[in-house]
Amino acid sequence: MIKRIWKLRSTRKFFSNRLAVMALLIVAGYLAIALGTSVFGLVDLDATFARVGPKNVSGFFRVQEPEKQVEDVEYIFNRVDSALRRRDPKQALAEIQFGPQRLIDASPEEIKAIVERGWSYFDQLAESDDLNQDRAALPVIEQLKQTEQSLFAPLTSGQRWEQRINLVLGTDAQGRSIALRAIYSIEVAIKIGLVVAFFSVLIGSLLGTAAGFYGGWVDHAVTWAFTTFSSIPSLVLLVLLAYMFTGSTFEGTLFPMYIAFSATYWIGPCRVIRGETLKLRELEYVQAATALGYSRPYIVVRHILPNASHLMLINFSLLFIAAIKGEVILTYLGLGIKNGTSWGIMIEQSRPEVINGFFWQIGTATVLMFGLVLAFNILSDALQDAFDPKHV
Amino acid sequence: MTDSEPILKIEHLTTRFHTDRGVVQAVDDVSLELFAGETLGIVGESGCGKTVTSKSVMRLLPTHLSSFGAESRIEYRGMNLLGLSENQMRDIRGNQIAMIFQEPMTALNPVFTVGWQLDEALKYHTSLNRRERFDRSLEMLRMVDMPNPTRRLKEYPHQLSGGMRQRVMIAIALCCEPDILIADEPTTALDVTIQAQILRLMNDLKKRIGTAIVLITHDLGVVAQICDRVAVMYAGRVVEMATVHDLFHRPQHPYTRALLDSIPINDATHHGQRLPAIEGIVPSLFELPQGCRFHDRCKFCEDECRQTEPDLETTGSQQSVRCHFPLSELRS
Repeated sequence: MIKRIWKLRSTRKFFSNRLAVMALLIVAGYLAIALGTSVFGLVDLDATFARVGPKNVSGFFRVQEPEKQVEDVEYIFNRVDSALRRRDPKQALAEIQFGPQRLIDASPEEIKAIVERGWSYFDQLAESDDLNQDRAALPVIEQLKQTEQSLFAPLTSGQRWEQRINLVLGTDAQGRSIALRAIYSIEVAIKIGLVVAFFSVLIGSLLGTAAGFYGGWVDHAVTWAFTTFSSIPSLVLLVLLAYMFTGSTFEGTLFPMYIAFSATYWIGPCRVIRGETLKLRELEYVQAATALGYSRPYIVVRHILPNASHLMLINFSLLFIAAIKGEVILTYLGLGIKNGTSWGIMIEQSRPEVINGFFWQIGTATVLMFGLVLAFNILSDALQDAFDPKHV
Repeated sequence: MTDSEPILKIEHLTTRFHTDRGVVQAVDDVSLELFAGETLGIVGESGCGKTVTSKSVMRLLPTHLSSFGAESRIEYRGMNLLGLSENQMRDIRGNQIAMIFQEPMTALNPVFTVGWQLDEALKYHTSLNRRERFDRSLEMLRMVDMPNPTRRLKEYPHQLSGGMRQRVMIAIALCCEPDILIADEPTTALDVTIQAQILRLMNDLKKRIGTAIVLITHDLGVVAQICDRVAVMYAGRVVEMATVHDLFHRPQHPYTRALLDSIPINDATHHGQRLPAIEGIVPSLFELPQGCRFHDRCKFCEDECRQTEPDLETTGSQQSVRCHFPLSELRS
């Protein structure tokens, strides 16, 4: 079977299109990641909420500005300080652990000494006017950082790798790994895209062909349904449906979004496929099928639907993308996913960061979304070019 | 031939269409008989009711837009086809009465292979298993003289030429060995050499399988080649009915005569002369003229023609004509 498909002219045509192959690889990569996170637990939801470092660390291990470095160290010393002041220092110190980094196994007195040393460096730094400009401040900052590092036990090589991966795209305002969050969001996006596109196209093409082929009251009913639905701005309907689920067990999960998007997105494929069916119904091969004595449901399924399959494919790829974008918009408005992780949540939470000039979170979410959308578009286009029997 | 029972008997068929501008009688009181193993031609200009007649037999007209007259009967093996339910009709279509269409380009489903479509018809109407269906498909393609049939089974319609597609259509229509084959302008879209091949093929198959053929065409050349009897239609009515020999040698209706005159003849005496054509156009079905429907285009029109419409009268052993002044009388 695979050998036969491989030998097809269309397959060869598809693989000779370099852009298409690239798009295929990209989409396959996304799918593999989604499969990895959902089935093999590559990244779980808890991991996307864990602190892995100080807040708003830049990605690609870029050297932070001196001011930011000092700020990060200060943050850690403050946490240690306040932990030590409480009654149970061991328990309190556990709170400041970042991912694989653990406080050294030392007595509170020893830790206190390290922190004291750190504060004295801060006093030195306070004398320089501008940390970013003052060259004399740089060695002090270096010492400060080393002092801070001595608070933590050295990392094993496995932990070092883990930390590197977590920090590759920096951290958000709560010190969570942007890379892990973005990767986990791929699974969410692809789930929404596939489920919504599948059900919308299924509902749309069944209703569309039925309306177009049978005509009469079936057509009236379907036409009434989609004109009514499309006269309501779809976002309003989505908001309404999202509100309907507040308070239910499904609140904040993906389920209300599946329902909301499928209930509005079926209109597009339905309208297009109804029109195509009206055209196909009058074609001679459909009449010939009737003249050969085939029953009407049989003609719809075996003769009309396959000839409208290109429209189904196009609509599937359009809706796949529309659903992913829709999720982002709805979540941004605060109506979509709550207490989860998705590109929409990442973009929504990066609002204050952008004002402060930190673009790693919004950038990562946007670039990944752009990559998926573009690759999917190119792929579906190339597939249609290669496999549509009417254009060989 | 006349003493045996006809297998298809159309009696007083009236087909009406309900349009926005009112009710139109596209076929008006047509009676035809088809005997086993013969070829009946139906000729006429565009819009004179040929196709509607054939689609009425197959019950392919949209039910909410059309209706039949109360007197109408289409009798096949003692059943009135017009009274059958959709389910009963489905058993007859394809199995006992098959139809092929004018446009071979669009009459095959573009997304399935030829083999799939032949197989589909066999699967639907017979209880053959997969292997037998494959053999039968191959046999059918051989029967319609398809070159390289094993390869063609795996090909899509767009890979075939028009003539080959029409052969496939004929193969699909005949694979269940129907009693009657209705061919609606089967050669109109083909060029003349292919046309001749297809006509010869249909003639051969008719003899081999014994299927009766109703051939609808506007091409008198085609009629002359393969028909046994001919019905000439004009504005929804049969105006003349005769054997092919009588029709070409002794046409009695002025319309038939005019049609025959409009066939181009390639010889010295006709060279450089204007080809005779019938003046005017077929009257609109909404505004049929009073009296004979052909009178305003007729060269031999008299007062009586403008007043009353003539009946279809039998004039010879197998000839009948709807004219007050049949031509042989006029000329004598």
